[in-house]
Amino acid sequence: MLKVTGLETGYGRVQILRGLDMEVPQGRIVALLGGNGTGKSTMLRAVSGLIRVWNGQIEFNGERIDNKAPDQIVRRGLIQVTQGKDSYPSMTVEENLKVGAFTRSDKPGVARDLERVYDYFPVLKERRRQLAGTLSGGEVQMLVIGRGLMAAPKMMLLDEPSAALAPKVVLDIFANINRIARSGVTILVVEQNVRMALILASYAYIIRDGRILIEGDADDLMHDENVKMSFLGGTVADSSREYMS
Amino acid sequence: MDFDFTSLFAFILFGLTIGVVYGIVALGISLIYSGLDIVHFAHGEIYMFGAFFGLVFSEHMGVPYPLAILSAMVCTGLLGIVIERVFYRRLTRAGGGYTVAGMGMIICGFGMSVVLQNIAYLSWGADAEPFPVDLGEPFQFGDISLPKSYGLTAVIALLLMAVLHFFLKKTKIGLAVRAVAANKDIAFLMGINVPLMISLIFGLACALAAAAGVLIGPMQSVQVEMGYLMLMKAFAAAVVGGFGSLPGAIVGGLLVGIFENLGAAYISPNHKDIYAFLLLILVLMVRPSGLFGVEVRVKA
Ligand SMILES: Nc1ncnc2c1ncn2[C@@H]1O[C@H](COP(=O)(O)OP(=O)(O)O)[C@@H](O)[C@H]1O
Ligand SMILES: [Mg+2]
Repeated sequence: MLKVTGLETGYGRVQILRGLDMEVPQGRIVALLGGNGTGKSTMLRAVSGLIRVWNGQIEFNGERIDNKAPDQIVRRGLIQVTQGKDSYPSMTVEENLKVGAFTRSDKPGVARDLERVYDYFPVLKERRRQLAGTLSGGEVQMLVIGRGLMAAPKMMLLDEPSAALAPKVVLDIFANINRIARSGVTILVVEQNVRMALILASYAYIIRDGRILIEGDADDLMHDENVKMSFLGGTVADSSREYMS
Repeated sequence: MDFDFTSLFAFILFGLTIGVVYGIVALGISLIYSGLDIVHFAHGEIYMFGAFFGLVFSEHMGVPYPLAILSAMVCTGLLGIVIERVFYRRLTRAGGGYTVAGMGMIICGFGMSVVLQNIAYLSWGADAEPFPVDLGEPFQFGDISLPKSYGLTAVIALLLMAVLHFFLKKTKIGLAVRAVAANKDIAFLMGINVPLMISLIFGLACALAAAAGVLIGPMQSVQVEMGYLMLMKAFAAAVVGGFGSLPGAIVGGLLVGIFENLGAAYISPNHKDIYAFLLLILVLMVRPSGLFGVEVRVKA
């Protein structure tokens, strides 16, 4: 569904991605893993059209979308939820969700999806008249995922949905990501919480130095000695083990 | 001067009517600031152009006054959109998105203000042009008589504010405008056509300034240099209310209007124009972020 080939991009003259290839088949959850500052968010920004693609191509549903305007890409059903937990703090929860539905004109559909989001994240329903700025970190993460859902996406790009959240909240959010996937939305999830991501996803890519270093089925990667050494042995995995026990 | 309540009331009433006009210009400045992240120093000249357009429509073409206001708003709004697209867009982009591109944007605003003044000078000359509008007998409030133009000004300015409020709070495009003002990248990722919204915001702000120009025209007169003082007072209003805050801009405008009328009446009428700044300094001493400023926004 999403196919990235030879992607090169960066900021100003600084190149970050040096020929990145990856593919996300329809209906799957794929994870993009890697350390801090390795270019994961940069790759999502390029896919969403927020930064220019220098070289290579991006295909979505068989159509080239590289260097299209971000709003055009959204209208094709590819939605990104950024890592900053960027809600609109001075709007209410419900207004935030309505911004998500900006591209849609089917009112009954929008109303149905609003109920769906409230069903996934009941706390948002309780707080729907509250300003988003008053929510906790976990609630904001739910809000921005919900806001993405309001666009009726075919595919969602989720950038570090677990970052800076308590273990219980992470489990809740991951369970909902799974639910969203089962409802037919293809998902690419970027994570530093490697173990959790490998449990959620069926396939994973590991990025380093602007290229894909390792890729494979999530189960295989979980037991791969290299991956264990470089990603699962460190603090990330230790803390995630604590989370899950 | 003897103190009596009737004249106090009159000063406040006159202050309020002029204050709503400061308010709608300040509203535009705040809209541009929150939407484009620029402080628009040529906004006084936009107001002046609006006044001239109104004069041309009403005096030279015989368009009825209310319609002249609307036409001036449309023309000035379009003028603003062209200015933003052709001149400002490159600069705001160069700053990385729409953040403040250092001093460049400020200088550009000043430059634009000089250019617009000169264009107005070439088109309409340097003389102050009277803008007579006959609206009939003044309103009577007890002993106070308020000229119809003042009453009309207040009503139209309030109406514009109400329409703007409805637009921003109740319509989908208004929601998108607020989304763009708050965070452009996220607005883009929600499928909003951000460049288009930015044009809309700038055009709206210019249309508001134009309305102010056509409303003030009949009270004073229309001349090339009228923009400067309005800019200063609208800035004072915007800062007093909390820069970037829309309700703040309106309240700031009203306060500036009242304060300067009372100052002129009870302190000295010779320095009418300094009271706005006196108020500005007083408010900033007590609340550095202005009355409605929740936080000092730090721009990259
Ligand atoms: N706006 C930016 N301007 C310049 N450099 C940036 C910008 N954003 C990120 N970078 C740099 O690009 C590299 C990759 O960043 P990013 O894609 O955010 O990493 P990740 O999401 O994998 O942690 C980092 O070295 C970072 O410093
Ligand atoms: Mg990142």
